[in-house]
Amino acid sequence: MFFLTFLRRELLRRMHRAVFVALGLSVGVGLVVTVTAASTGVSNAQTKVLHALYGIGTDVTVTKAASSKRDGTLFSFSPGKVPVRHNYMIPPPGLGVIDGAAVARVAKVHGVIAAAGAMSLLDTDITVPSQSQLSASGKPPAGSLGNHFTVNGVDLAHLKLGPYASGTIGSGRSLAASDARSDVAVADAGYANAHGLKVGSTMSIAGHDFRVVGVTRQPRGGGSADFYIPLTRAQAYASSPETKAVSDKIDTIYVAVTNTAAIPAVRTEINRLLPGTTVTSSSSLADDVTGSLTSATSLATDLGRWLAIVALITAFAAASLLTAANVARRTREFGTLRTLGWRTRRIIGQILGESVVTGLAGAVAGIALGFLGAALVGWLAPELTATVAQNPGSPPSENITLNSSGMRRSISPYSTHTINVHLDAQVTLAAIGLAVGLALIGGIIAGLYGGWRISRLRPAEALRRVE
Amino acid sequence: MYTLSGVGKTFRKGDATVAALQDVDLTIEDGDWLTIQGRTGHGKSTLLNILAGLDRPTTGTVELDGRDLATMRERELTEVRATSIGFVFQSFNLIPTLSAAENVEAALVPLGVPTAERRTRAAEALASVGLGGRVQHLPSEMSGGQQQRVGIARALVKRPRVLLADEPSGNLDEDTRDEIIQLLSTLREERNLTLVLVTHDTTLAYRAPRVAVMRNGRLMMRRDSRTDKAVSDS
Ligand SMILES: Nc1ncnc2c1ncn2[C@@H]1O[C@H](COP(=O)(O)OP(=O)(O)O)[C@@H](O)[C@H]1O
Ligand SMILES: [Mg+2]
Repeated sequence: MFFLTFLRRELLRRMHRAVFVALGLSVGVGLVVTVTAASTGVSNAQTKVLHALYGIGTDVTVTKAASSKRDGTLFSFSPGKVPVRHNYMIPPPGLGVIDGAAVARVAKVHGVIAAAGAMSLLDTDITVPSQSQLSASGKPPAGSLGNHFTVNGVDLAHLKLGPYASGTIGSGRSLAASDARSDVAVADAGYANAHGLKVGSTMSIAGHDFRVVGVTRQPRGGGSADFYIPLTRAQAYASSPETKAVSDKIDTIYVAVTNTAAIPAVRTEINRLLPGTTVTSSSSLADDVTGSLTSATSLATDLGRWLAIVALITAFAAASLLTAANVARRTREFGTLRTLGWRTRRIIGQILGESVVTGLAGAVAGIALGFLGAALVGWLAPELTATVAQNPGSPPSENITLNSSGMRRSISPYSTHTINVHLDAQVTLAAIGLAVGLALIGGIIAGLYGGWRISRLRPAEALRRVE
Repeated sequence: MYTLSGVGKTFRKGDATVAALQDVDLTIEDGDWLTIQGRTGHGKSTLLNILAGLDRPTTGTVELDGRDLATMRERELTEVRATSIGFVFQSFNLIPTLSAAENVEAALVPLGVPTAERRTRAAEALASVGLGGRVQHLPSEMSGGQQQRVGIARALVKRPRVLLADEPSGNLDEDTRDEIIQLLSTLREERNLTLVLVTHDTTLAYRAPRVAVMRNGRLMMRRDSRTDKAVSDS
């Protein structure tokens, strides 16, 4: 085909011009790919954070604020003649309890696939020193602050729902429905490593010996509890000097819905069913996330998008003008072809062919630049942080001080939770498709523009043009 | 056969208009050879462009075998150019990125000639202008005379009935000029072409049975062997 011969000759023998145009396009395409990759990375990071905070598979959570805020001194003592050990597990003061029966009611709401109840608890294992153990300055001996950790009672019927579901079992096994009556626990890898726990170790929780059957690793920054135990066990053992028994109580309901569109209706219905509860969804949680991740998100969506659009327009304009200039320089050549009886359409086709190939070359170079840009973003971007004011379902932090005047435990009921995520700019297939499409469109626009300009000339005029 | 009557062409140059052609009446029979002379800027190229269907006159009719090129639709005009008219340029106008053979082939592309036939016909055309051995050369690798031979082969490969040549030797050195004019003259005779040749610098051109002069856009016959008398300047 003469078309291809001509195309090949033009591109090869005037390669520098084609390369120039292709490079111009590739810069625009590369920027679009980079920005898209960065914003994909940011949204992946956001998803990761939300999953860590929220639990994979969970669409809606239901919690209740504590009826009265308890903080400050919850427990005090005067050192006695002998050391006394206290080991107890209480519901966190920041969260109110909900009747276990509510779970079944939520499960029946239209649009809900499953609902799981859970209970977060604080475990304190402390040995109050004797008077003689206190130093002259009233300082307690090392190690007497004991052990504090968080425990999550997991609904064994719905292991795929809630924070437990976000973790991956590294060693041992997961909790199972048959564990309902067993004192077994899955330990968080972070806690297990710090305390030398392994599968098979025994751990004292609320004064009961629990066997560690598995170690789970939560996604980066996750870890809503140090131990996961069957909900029924948690309910049975939780108690405290100032709370009543909590059997058949929960503090969080994790809900999965049929589709995200159903979330608003489900939230409304749950609010109606359970007055006084707080119903959050991952999108409402996302709104509460602060920190550099949020700035990165808005940066990626606002500045990034504009940058990409500006770059693209500039690249397209440059490519179109360069192509038009190349075409204008060849005006006499096209006049000659029309003298030979070539139709305008054929000539425009020839120009289009050249600019489409150039556009494709620009796309390939642009994708390469995009990968480079994405790698640079991943390499240069600082660690992103995400902070949520209230992490639904996870216990607030606890601080215990001990001195001669007694022990003081303070709890900040609305602790903040900060998660670090690394930004991995990811070049997606969609971004590559977009790049190729854009470069092709750029090539076609440039070619049509050039072709249109020469097709308006009479052949005699085209022939008079000097280069 | 061309029949021109009352052909005028004006160009707009800023505010002013230039009358490049005025009241040209001309008949060119099939197989005629007409040489047109005249100084630069007097309308020779404008006339040739109108004969080639590359431009349209402002007034008058330009009939080629009874069809008026002045009012013909662009598509048909393109077809006339593709099938019936060969054009040789002063500055050769070869496509710089195409080889000699490919330049010649380009003239067969609008006719839809199959590739193999296109190649053989291009080779034949190049051989007929004495360039059999240089088919793969690029224009930049050839002398001016050789490039113009490629230009002539390209004009003739479609086997047109009309050959229009606008100062074909204008860009060549003395020795090559006559060669090119001689070649055109020979080819015309061999193929019984209608030849309109714009040139002013060689005695060879005067072998043409008809010689005309363009002055200020008007065409005046110098000599017309058909009526066998010299036409004087008016
Ligand atoms: N496309 C055009 N636009 C404006 N003026 C033109 C154009 N073509 C030719 N002319 C003018 O028409 C006149 C005749 O030009 P041309 O036919 O090229 O002369 P020649 O070929 O005899 O040198 C000149 O004055 C030239 O400037
Ligand atoms: Mg001229």
